[in-house]
Amino acid sequence: MAEQVAGLAPELAGERALVSELVGDQAGPWDLAGELPAGLLRKLGAHGVLCAEVPAAYGGLGAASRPSGELTAHAGSLCSSLRSIMTSQGMAAWTIQRLGDREQRRRYLADLTSGQLAAVAFSEPGAGSDLSALQTRTSPAGDSVVLDGEKMWVTGARYADLLVVLARHGDGAAFAVVPASAPGVRLEPVADPVGCRAAGHSHVRLDQVTLPASSVLGGGGQSLPLLFTTALSYGRISVAWGCVGIIRACLAAAVRHARRREQSGRPIAQHQLVARHLAELLTAEQVSTRVCEHASRCWQDTSPDMVMAAVLAKHVSAGHAARSASTAVQVLASAGAQDGHVVARAYRDAKLMEIIEGSNEICQLLLAQHALTTAGPG
Amino acid sequence: MTTGQAITPVTAEAVTAEAVSEALTAFLAERIKTEVAPDQDLFASGLASSMFAMQLVVHLEETYDIAIIGPELKLDNFRTVQAMTALVLRLRDG
Ligand SMILES: Cc1cc2nc3c(=O)[nH]c(=O)nc-3n(C[C@H](O)[C@H](O)[C@H](O)COP(=O)(O)OP(=O)(O)OC[C@H]3O[C@@H](n4cnc5c(N)ncnc54)[C@H](O)[C@@H]3O)c2cc1C
Repeated sequence: MAEQVAGLAPELAGERALVSELVGDQAGPWDLAGELPAGLLRKLGAHGVLCAEVPAAYGGLGAASRPSGELTAHAGSLCSSLRSIMTSQGMAAWTIQRLGDREQRRRYLADLTSGQLAAVAFSEPGAGSDLSALQTRTSPAGDSVVLDGEKMWVTGARYADLLVVLARHGDGAAFAVVPASAPGVRLEPVADPVGCRAAGHSHVRLDQVTLPASSVLGGGGQSLPLLFTTALSYGRISVAWGCVGIIRACLAAAVRHARRREQSGRPIAQHQLVARHLAELLTAEQVSTRVCEHASRCWQDTSPDMVMAAVLAKHVSAGHAARSASTAVQVLASAGAQDGHVVARAYRDAKLMEIIEGSNEICQLLLAQHALTTAGPG
Repeated sequence: MTTGQAITPVTAEAVTAEAVSEALTAFLAERIKTEVAPDQDLFASGLASSMFAMQLVVHLEETYDIAIIGPELKLDNFRTVQAMTALVLRLRDG
């Protein structure tokens, strides 16, 4: 589907084809079953596809942000559960690359590009939008650290070998890389999520989990807001591109249906009120793509603007995805009103994109704060 | 939110405390439209948020070819122009 989009970068065309081939027509059944085949995730992981931006020196594809984004959008157009796994794996890899020391980068990035799977755990029962309320903590114990806490809704945790866990650490904070098999780690699957049903969300309990001190990225002790902003900046661009994929799938399904379905003697596309839906879907696809391209450009240029550009891209694309999915269901009507249909799935998946990686409201607060600080006095 | 200008990494001889401090003051004036004093607390005065601190991290790393990692990634290092200048000089020496 994304192959038809004009101006698509030729980079990663083989990876996009691999995703198409492996997903095939199975996204609907995976969604209904609430599970992705673990073998497929490992295969994509071993090809570097789940975190395409990892530099080649660490075993990755070394993709730039834009082609990586188009790959993410392609996966998102087919299966948002798979796309969420890519976002988590990519966010884990970026966090390790950005915050880890040389040895940690070498070790963990090799793992993440050879078939091991990772999830990122920020949220807690008392710390959702407000991550400053975080209570998970590391305590030093000789050459080890002991981790205690509770994490919520961790995407991909069910499939993960490694959990990248945000915790308090001394006066500051830290990301710790925790093997999912470590004693004291307990997963509890989230039952029947509204969307991204096969993404393996789990609550994670960490009860006296003892790890070598070398599991703490960069030795820890960093500022908590700087840590989550670092990880979330990648996650936001990734979710934003995933939303572009949702919108493209909705646009394609709505156009196909509006051409074929006839009512009152003509294809419904020729009824102006339906045509307006198509215009809105196209507008959403174009606007979201442009704002994602801008964020990817800022990211690639290492521009200081990338932080806010990521928030903007996520906010704009998630809103458009949620509205576009609703519009597409409207155009399909009864034909799209059943679980298993691409627009029905999009409708459930897209709503969650307005909640994760900074809800609509949190993104708006950040954008407002940006407007206030850049406007100057007076 | 404009596309950032291409950043030219500065050469070694240009990295003195005065030069860094001046360049940072100019960067801040452009970004937050305010002339700040070298010891002015950007966070306490509401001029900057932790999101903006992240932008400062990216700016300093790119401009001075340094890596701000591990415990250096703390808000206190970005609180004032003085603190950021000291950070740049320390990391370039290290
Ligand atoms: C599908 C899915 C996948 C997820 N994956 C992960 C993951 O991989 N890792 C992880 O750590 N977490 C994950 N989460 C958790 C997610 O990060 C949180 O749900 C999110 O941060 C919001 O927190 P909350 O659900 O506690 O809502 P709350 O923070 O309780 O917010 C409830 C409502 O209040 C609003 N609100 C809250 N504070 C403010 C404020 N200050 N001003 C204005 N409005 C406000 C919110 O916008 C929201 O509308 C996932 C969640 C979902 C649904």
